Amino acid sequence: MDIGSISTKGVVLDETNHVLADHYLLTQGDPIGATRRLLRELQAQLPAHTHIHAIGTTGSARRLVGAMLGATAIKNEITAHAVGTLSRHPDVRTILEIGGQDSKIILIRGGIVADYAMNTLCAAGTGAFLSAQAGRLGLTVEEMGPVALTSTTPARIAARCTVFAESDLIHKAQGGHRLEDLVAGLVSAVAENYLANVGKGKAITPPIVFQGGVSRNQGVVAAFEHELGCEILTDPAGHLMGAIGAAHLATDSGRLDTPFQFDLAEDAYQTHTNPCTLCPNHCEIVYFYRENICLDHWGNRCNRGGAEGRN
Amino acid sequence: MTTIGIPRALGYHRYGTLWETFFDELDIPFLVSPETNQAIQSQGVRHTVDESCLPLKLYMGHAAHLLDKCDALFVPRLERLGPRDEFCVRFWGLPDTVSATFQKAQLLTYELNSGLPGTHERAFLKLGRTLGKHPITTARAYARAQARQREVDFHRFSYARAELQATAPRILLAANPYITYDPYLGGTVARLIAHLGGVPIFTDAWNRTQCRAQAREISTDLYWTLNREMMGAVHQARSQVDGILLLTAFPCGSDCLANELILRRVNDVPVIQILLDEHQSHEGLTTRIESFMDMLEGRRRIG
Repeated sequence: MDIGSISTKGVVLDETNHVLADHYLLTQGDPIGATRRLLRELQAQLPAHTHIHAIGTTGSARRLVGAMLGATAIKNEITAHAVGTLSRHPDVRTILEIGGQDSKIILIRGGIVADYAMNTLCAAGTGAFLSAQAGRLGLTVEEMGPVALTSTTPARIAARCTVFAESDLIHKAQGGHRLEDLVAGLVSAVAENYLANVGKGKAITPPIVFQGGVSRNQGVVAAFEHELGCEILTDPAGHLMGAIGAAHLATDSGRLDTPFQFDLAEDAYQTHTNPCTLCPNHCEIVYFYRENICLDHWGNRCNRGGAEGRN
Repeated sequence: MTTIGIPRALGYHRYGTLWETFFDELDIPFLVSPETNQAIQSQGVRHTVDESCLPLKLYMGHAAHLLDKCDALFVPRLERLGPRDEFCVRFWGLPDTVSATFQKAQLLTYELNSGLPGTHERAFLKLGRTLGKHPITTARAYARAQARQREVDFHRFSYARAELQATAPRILLAANPYITYDPYLGGTVARLIAHLGGVPIFTDAWNRTQCRAQAREISTDLYWTLNREMMGAVHQARSQVDGILLLTAFPCGSDCLANELILRRVNDVPVIQILLDEHQSHEGLTTRIESFMDMLEGRRRIG
């Protein structure tokens, strides 16, 4: 499972690492609900009596969903994406990844992560930025790619900062630039911004695989090919790489004691936030319950305060 | 008897022992603000303009915390150690910033500004005079305070030497001391590294004079003392650690320049830069540190 800020992805792999089932849906700010909907979909795709022996989670809600499903591996996105991509493109040297709120570059040498960079904590130039601008132009995110490809004279737009880009975009729109030129300007700004920030100083050598939600935007793919002057591979399963990587990591980390039951997701899950009062930090400790039993808690800066207010 | 309040921020993380011992030796009661916490940060954010850097915001939070608990705030003006050795302008203007922010606050200060040898001692003799102490008493107190600070520094240096022998991944946490030793900033990162099985080693644990000289190996032009010391430590440690984590607080002008130089010129060891701000969630931080450690582990496996 790859539970990202914007979308939630899941795959089921068999012993030979073939994808038996996969699904993609929007998280909509509810990772638990998204996981539940996703598991229903995966179960429907699988033959009856399929045994799930290990579960891996990645993405920004990896800990929450990891606790929910009793995952055997809970890993960060860099590692999961590298492992997932290597399983399908063993010769890859550069992975470009732009997701909902993160963007990263991973350099692979000799089958391992040799170097990587990630955006700072600011989400400029990521999927969240594109979907906000799509909304402003009255388009859906999916429509942006095809529209961008029709432009011959892209507008120049600065994507360094969402706020600056928005004012640039408004000024250009009010100045009479055509819709396709604005969209093409936006997508090439995303690519340029990525290469100037995340990709700065990195040796970007082919084969290059571009993935993450934004890789489904053909406009951004074309902008990268233009900037880098070489072919950019996009995998039809590019959006699933994190999930595939998590599955591989789960396989390596051992088996669940008892096979996973899909209806586990149908239980009542609740989170409860309790500001700790033991010191002036007032850490917001999140307690996570299944059927009123606390599975896990997090958010505390120290070890004190964790057990308080559990049940 | 008046009590002096010492904010546990900025210069304290470099000269704390010196200051505390000095006041102790002169029998002057003092109070150091507690370690940074959420309440102090919120107070600091309230008392500073938006564009201030996070460490200055925290300083104001510490000052605000001390206001009604002491008679005077101890706010030194640290300008320069040598002709080409300057502190950042936040340190230069600190007494002014504090008195403009808290207009009723009584300030006790000393100035480190000539850049000539013996400046520090002369500044403290003057401080002693302000406090109504005899110059000989003050000179003795300063000598003891300085010796104690040296001892503490030396202890930190030898501790770091021992940590360099560790077999677990050794991460050089490269940052200004007021970030490194603030449990709310560097402390959070160091704890995460240790929690993930790594050994955090601080750049503030190398001989400072040597560091300032060694910084030339990376940049000959930089003149900010703290950044030069950090850079010199990076140069001396680069062959002895598995990875370097550049930690900076938003928005820091001198770090921006110094870290960029390190990122461009230190290519023999993996370097990651992490930017801290008023964020309350640790998820982004955890992801970045965990993936960095995973990469180092992968590189070690391959050899």
